[in-house]
Amino acid sequence: MKRLAATLLIALQACAGAALASEVTSPSPFSLSGFGTIGTVRTDKDNRAFRSSTTQNSGASTDFDFSVDSVLGLQGSYKFNNTLDLTLQSVVRKDSSNSYDPKLTFAFLRVHATPELTIRAGRMRTPFFMYSDSLNVNYASPWVRPPVEVYSLNPFADLDGLDAFYRLPVSDMELELHAYGGRSELDARESTGNLTRIRGIKASLNAPRLTLQANFAKANLALYWNGPIYAALAQQLIATGNGHIVDQIAGSGSPTTFISTSFQYDNDRLLLIGEYAARTVDRYNSSAIGWYLTSGYRFGPVTPFVTFARQHQVSTDNAANTGNPSLDATLRLLNAVRNKAQTSVAAGMRWDARRNLALKAQLERVQPGPDALGIFVSNSVMDNLNPGGPVHVLSLTADFVF
Amino acid sequence: MRSIHALLIGILLACSSAARAEVVVVTSTRSGPIELSREQAEKLYLGRSTTLGDGTPVNLVDLPNGSTRDEFYAKLTGKNPTQIQAYWSRIVFTGRASPPKEAGSIAEARQWLADTPNIIGYLERNDATPGLRILLRLP
Repeated sequence: MKRLAATLLIALQACAGAALASEVTSPSPFSLSGFGTIGTVRTDKDNRAFRSSTTQNSGASTDFDFSVDSVLGLQGSYKFNNTLDLTLQSVVRKDSSNSYDPKLTFAFLRVHATPELTIRAGRMRTPFFMYSDSLNVNYASPWVRPPVEVYSLNPFADLDGLDAFYRLPVSDMELELHAYGGRSELDARESTGNLTRIRGIKASLNAPRLTLQANFAKANLALYWNGPIYAALAQQLIATGNGHIVDQIAGSGSPTTFISTSFQYDNDRLLLIGEYAARTVDRYNSSAIGWYLTSGYRFGPVTPFVTFARQHQVSTDNAANTGNPSLDATLRLLNAVRNKAQTSVAAGMRWDARRNLALKAQLERVQPGPDALGIFVSNSVMDNLNPGGPVHVLSLTADFVF
Repeated sequence: MRSIHALLIGILLACSSAARAEVVVVTSTRSGPIELSREQAEKLYLGRSTTLGDGTPVNLVDLPNGSTRDEFYAKLTGKNPTQIQAYWSRIVFTGRASPPKEAGSIAEARQWLADTPNIIGYLERNDATPGLRILLRLP
C-alpha cells in the first residue's frame, strides 16, 4: 500500500510533465501540494512521556523530542474532466511501531454529480470530529495539535468506503450534510482494532462568521489488546473460571456510538472554538466523554490563545469485582491503562511568520486521571493507578504548506 | 522645464501605484454567454461551488502570490492572505475541493484565460486584453 502510494504519486508527476509539454495554454489537470510540521516537545517529569496520539508507542519526557508532532504529507490530484477527479495523499509520521513508513491517507475518486452533490469512493479520513479530517495538517488550526482530550476518544483515522456531501443554501447560510459509510483499521500502543459497518452523518451549518457542526456515527468495534498485562490477565481469568470477562475486554462486534458537536466563531479578530464528543461502547473499552474550549485573539500576524480541555470516563467494560483480590487488582490496572482521563489548560501563540509558514509555541499544564495517566506513558505501569500531580508540556512547532 | 516634467511624471507614477487598481473577474470570449454574480464568484473562490449559478462547471485560475491576488481575495471574501492560505489548506488537505489552478505569471494566466473556454480568473483592470470578457468588477 505504501509503495503503491509512492508509485502513484510519481506516475501522476510524470503525467503532469507530459500534459504540460503537449498543451501549454491550458492549466494542467494535475496538481501537487504538501504540508508538514517540524515540532519538538518535552515535559517536566522523567516518567511522564507525552504523546500526541494514543496510537504512538513512545513519547517525549524531559528531553526535547522531535518524533511526537513532526509530520510530512504530499498530495496529488488529477482532474479527468469537470465531474471526475482522483486524489492521493501520503503521510509520513511516527507510527505505533516507531517506524516512519509512509501511509496512504487519501486514495479516492470524486464525482461532482450535481452542483449540490459530491460523492467520493476510496480511502478518506473519518469525519468523527471537527478537525479529524485534517489531523495531520497543523497549519490549518490555531493550536500545535487538536486537543487530545477530544481527539483521543476515537483514533480511527482512515475511512475506507463511500461518502456524499449535499449542500443547500439556508437564507444567507449554507447547510452541508455529509453521509459516510465504510470501515477502518488501527494499530495503536498495545492494541489492534477495526471499525466495521461505520455509518454516520455530519451536519454543518456555515454562516459567514460561525460554523456549527453535529456528528452522529455508529460502528461495530473489534479490539485486541496485546500488552503484557492483558496476556497474563486473560490466562488468569480463564483459569479462575472468569472467561466471560475476557469476552468483555477483547473481541469483535461491539456496538459503538460516536457523537460530537462543535462550533467555531471567527470574526477576523476574535476566535472561539468549542467541541464536545462522546464515545459509547458496549465492550472492549471504556465509554468516555471529552470537551474543549479555545479562545484566541488576532493581533496582526500573532494569535495568542488559551484552551481548557477535559476527558473523563463514564463507564468501563468490566467492574473489576470477580471476588478474587489479585485478579481485581489486575483488572483495575488494565482499566486504568485504557482510561485516558485528564484535564488540561494550555496557553499558546501562533505567529504567521510568512504566507506559508506558522510558528507556534504552546505550554500546557495537564493533570492526568483520576485512575489514569491520560495521554502519557510511564516506564512504571503501576503509575496508571497513581498518576500524581500535574505535568507541564512545552511544544514548539513550525507548520508549513507548499 | 525638464525638471518640472520629471517631477510631474514622478508624482503621476507615485499616485498610480498608491491608488488601488480595479480588479476584474474575466473569462475568455470563447466561453458561452455566462454570467457571474459577486456571491457566486465568492462561492467559487472559497471552494463552496464548482459551477456557475446555472450549473455550468467552470475552472478557476489564481495569480501567483502578489498584491493583485491579495487584493482580489480581500475585496471578494474579506480575508487576508494568511486567512486565505489557512482556509484553502484546510479545504484541499481534507480532500473537500481542488484549489484554483495557480498560474506561473500574469502572462500565463492571461494566456490560459484567453485560450480556454469556461475558465474564470481575475486580473488587474489594466492587464485585461481584448480576448477576455469582464464578468465582474471589484473596485
